[in-house]
Amino acid sequence: MTVIAGRRTSSDIGRAVDLDLTNAWLVDPATGREGPGELVVRDGRIESIDWLAGDDARGIDDSGVVVAPGFVDLHAHLREPGNEAAETIASGLAAAAHGGFTTVCAMPNTTPPIDRAALVEAARAAAAASGSPVRLLQVGAVTAGRAGERLAALGELADAGVVAFSDDGSPVQSAELFRNALAYAGMLGLPVIDHPEDLTQTSGAEASDGLVATVLGLRGWPAAAEALAVARDIELLAEVRGDVPGARLHLTHLSTAASIEHVRRAKAAGLPVTCDVTPHHLALTDEWLAGARRWAWDALDGEGAARDPWRDHALEADPYDSSLRVNPPLRSAVDARACLDGLVDGTIDAIATDHAPHTQVDKDVEFGLARPGIAGIETALGLVLEAVDAGHLTLARAIEALTSGPVQALGTSREALRAPGLVEGAPADLVVFDRGARWTVRPDALMTRGWGGPLLGRSLPGTVLLTIAGGRLAYEDAASA
Amino acid sequence: MRSTSSTPPRWPRPVPERGSTLAERDGDAAVIPTPLPADRPPAWPHRHLLDTDVLTWPQIELVLDTADVMGEVVARRRPRSDALRGVGVTNLFYEASTRTRVSFEVAAKHLSADVVNVSVSGSSIEKGESLLDTVRTLASLGARVLVMRHATSGAPYLVAREFAGSVINAGDGRHAHPTQALLDLYTLQRHVPGGSLRGRKVVILGDVLHSRVARSNLWTLTAAGADVWLCGPATLLRGFEAWAAAGVGGERRFTVTSDIDAALRDADAVMALRLQQERMAAGLLPSLHEYAERFGLTTERLRLAREGCLVMHPGPMNEGVEIAPDVAAGPRSLVTEQVANGVAIRMAVLSLLTSVSLRGEG
Repeated sequence: MTVIAGRRTSSDIGRAVDLDLTNAWLVDPATGREGPGELVVRDGRIESIDWLAGDDARGIDDSGVVVAPGFVDLHAHLREPGNEAAETIASGLAAAAHGGFTTVCAMPNTTPPIDRAALVEAARAAAAASGSPVRLLQVGAVTAGRAGERLAALGELADAGVVAFSDDGSPVQSAELFRNALAYAGMLGLPVIDHPEDLTQTSGAEASDGLVATVLGLRGWPAAAEALAVARDIELLAEVRGDVPGARLHLTHLSTAASIEHVRRAKAAGLPVTCDVTPHHLALTDEWLAGARRWAWDALDGEGAARDPWRDHALEADPYDSSLRVNPPLRSAVDARACLDGLVDGTIDAIATDHAPHTQVDKDVEFGLARPGIAGIETALGLVLEAVDAGHLTLARAIEALTSGPVQALGTSREALRAPGLVEGAPADLVVFDRGARWTVRPDALMTRGWGGPLLGRSLPGTVLLTIAGGRLAYEDAASA
Repeated sequence: MRSTSSTPPRWPRPVPERGSTLAERDGDAAVIPTPLPADRPPAWPHRHLLDTDVLTWPQIELVLDTADVMGEVVARRRPRSDALRGVGVTNLFYEASTRTRVSFEVAAKHLSADVVNVSVSGSSIEKGESLLDTVRTLASLGARVLVMRHATSGAPYLVAREFAGSVINAGDGRHAHPTQALLDLYTLQRHVPGGSLRGRKVVILGDVLHSRVARSNLWTLTAAGADVWLCGPATLLRGFEAWAAAGVGGERRFTVTSDIDAALRDADAVMALRLQQERMAAGLLPSLHEYAERFGLTTERLRLAREGCLVMHPGPMNEGVEIAPDVAAGPRSLVTEQVANGVAIRMAVLSLLTSVSLRGEG
C-alpha cells in the first residue's frame, strides 16, 4: 500500500511541501524510466528518489498510486480579463491543479485580447495574487485585437514573457499575414500556435460533417476545413524556414485523420512542426450528439470503420446536449482513432485540454446557439486514463504527452520551462494520482466556474491526490489529506 | 366501436377498441384514448413528439387511427370535442408560419383547448431572453402543451428537458417536422390502392439538405415500407448518400439520386419541397430558373411516373419553381387535402400526448 506521509490542510495551498511517498509507481519522462519507487520531498525540493527492485518492489504496479511530473497544458482559456463569470485566473489555476497540471498556457482571446505587454503583466499579477503555485504562461495574440489584419506587438509581447503567439478561435485567414507571423515570431524564437480552420467552409457549422450531422440536421464542419488550413500552414512554414531557420509552427487541437497525416508527412520531411490533441477528441465522438455515450474506441467495428449508433441501439441520452458543442467539433470514431494512433506514433506531441469554460447563460441554450467549448482541464487525466485502461495507449506515453511533449512543443528556451522530470535536488513539480480510485464528475467536485459538461455524472479513473508546483502545494484531495 | 355518422375514410383500416367514443353528433363526449391495462406496455408512451424517429410502427398506426376518429369530429357541423377542455395549448413560434400555426390552433380549438399564440421575431438571443426562460414564463401562464417552431435544430429537446407538460415540435431548423410527416403518411395511405405504402415508390424532390420535412418523412415512410427516393441537385443532397448507405435507423435503405428521370420513373407518389431564395446567395445553385428547368415537377416529367401518381407539397409552394401550377392544382394533387388532414393529425397528436402528460393530474 502506498503511504503518503506529511499532513497538510487546505490553508497550506502555496506552502512549501514536505512529503514521504513510499511504494508508489514513479514515471519519469525525462529518462523514460518507470517503476516502483520512493520519493522524499523536503521543503519543496526532491530530496531523494529510490527506485525499488527485487522484494522491495513486489506488489507495486502501475495500477495504483502513480507519481509523475506535473502536467503542462498548452491550451487553456482562463477568461480573465473580460468574462470572469465563466472563469478567473484564480479559479482556472485551481481547476488546473485539481487536474494535475502545474503549468498552464493561457490563450489570449480575452476581452481585451492579450496583444500588448501591459496585459501580460496584469495576467501575471492576477496569477500571483491567486496564491496558486501553478505556473501561468501567457500566449500572446498574433494580430492586433485578434482581428487578423496586422501583426500585434509581437516583440513587446516577447519581451513581456509570452511563450507563443496565437489567434486561437479566430485563425488568421490571410496566408500572407500568417507567413509574416511565422517569420517574425521565428525571429523572436517563439512558435506560432494555429487553430487550423478554413472559415469559408465552417460558417454557422454546428457538428462534424457526417452521418450524425445529416440525421440531426446540424450544419456540417467538414474535415477538409481543418486539413486545408493545416496544409496551408505547413506549406508556409516550409518556405519561411528558408529565410528564418528558427520559425516554428504548432497546430492545436487536431481532430481529423487527414490533418494528422499532413503533420506526419511534414515531420518526416524534417519541418519544425508540432501538434496537440484534446482529451475529448480522443475519447468522445460526434455520435454523443445523437445520444450515444460510449468511448470512441468502442465505436469502431472490426474493419476500423465507425459503427452506426442507431443500428447498435447505442443512443441512451437525449440528443443535442449543448455541452458537446465544441470547436473543432467532435469527430467520427475513425478520426478519434487517428488521433490515438498519432499520439502513439509520436506524430502528435502533446495532449492539450482546450479548457473552455462558459457560463450557464452562454451554454444552457439551443445547441446551435451555445458557445463552443468544453471545460475539460479537470477531466483530462480521467479521459486519457480511460484510453490507457482500454489498452490503446501506454501510461508512459500518456504522461509524456502531458509533460515533456508540450514543453518540447514550446521550446525550452524559457526559464520557466525546465524539462519535466523526477530529479533529485530540483523543486518538486509533481502530480500524485491513484489510477485505481474512480471519482464522479459533479459540479461540486470541480474547481472551474464553467457550467455543465458532457461528463457530469460519470465516473472517471485516476483521482488526483496531490499536485505540487514548484515545490509548493497546489491541490490536495480532501479525502486523502 | 366507431361512429358511422360521418364520412368514412376511403381505405378503412381496423380501429383499435376504445373505451369512449366520439359518437355523439355535435356532442361533448370526452375522447381521450382509454387508459391502458397495466399489464401491457402502453400503446402510446410518449409525453412529447419531437421527431418521428422514436415512433414504432404500431405507434404510428395509432396516430393515424386516432386521426380517423378526429376526422369525424372535424366533419361535424359544429366540430368540437371536449377532450382538451381547460388545457392550455401554447403555440410558440420563433419562425414565421401561417399554415402550421393555424393548423395547430384549429386542432386545439376543435378539442376545446385554451389556445395562446406567441410569435417571436428573431431568435431568443436577439430578444434578450433565453428560450428556457420564455418556456418557464409560458408554463407559469398555464401552458400544458407547448407547440414550438424554432430555427435551430434540436431546440425542442432543450425545452422538453425542462417543461413539465408536453412539447410538440412544429419544425426545428433542418431537423424535424413530425406532424407534417404523419399527415403526409396519413394522406398517402388514404389514396394508395390497398391503403399500404409497402413497396410503393415515393419520391422526395428538391432541397433535401435543408428540409426537416424530408428528414421526418424518411423515418415514417421507410417505417411504412415505402421505396423512398430522394432527388435533387447534388449540392442539396450533401451527406445523404452516407445516410442511405447506413440506412434509416441503421437498417432501412433508401435511394439518393440527382437523376430526376430515374427518380420519377414508375413513382407512386412525389413530394416536392420548397426551394428558398437564399440557396442561390449561398452558392448552392446557379439560379431559380435553372432549378425549375432541371428539377421542377412538371406534367411532362410526371408522365414517367405511374398513372395516378400522387403529388404532394408541404407548402408554401413556389409555383413555377419546384412545382408547375398545373401540377399543383391538377387532379393528382393532394396539397389541399394535406392541409385538411393536418388538422386531424394534430388533434390526434394533442390527444395522445395529453393522455400521457395529464395522467394522474385529475
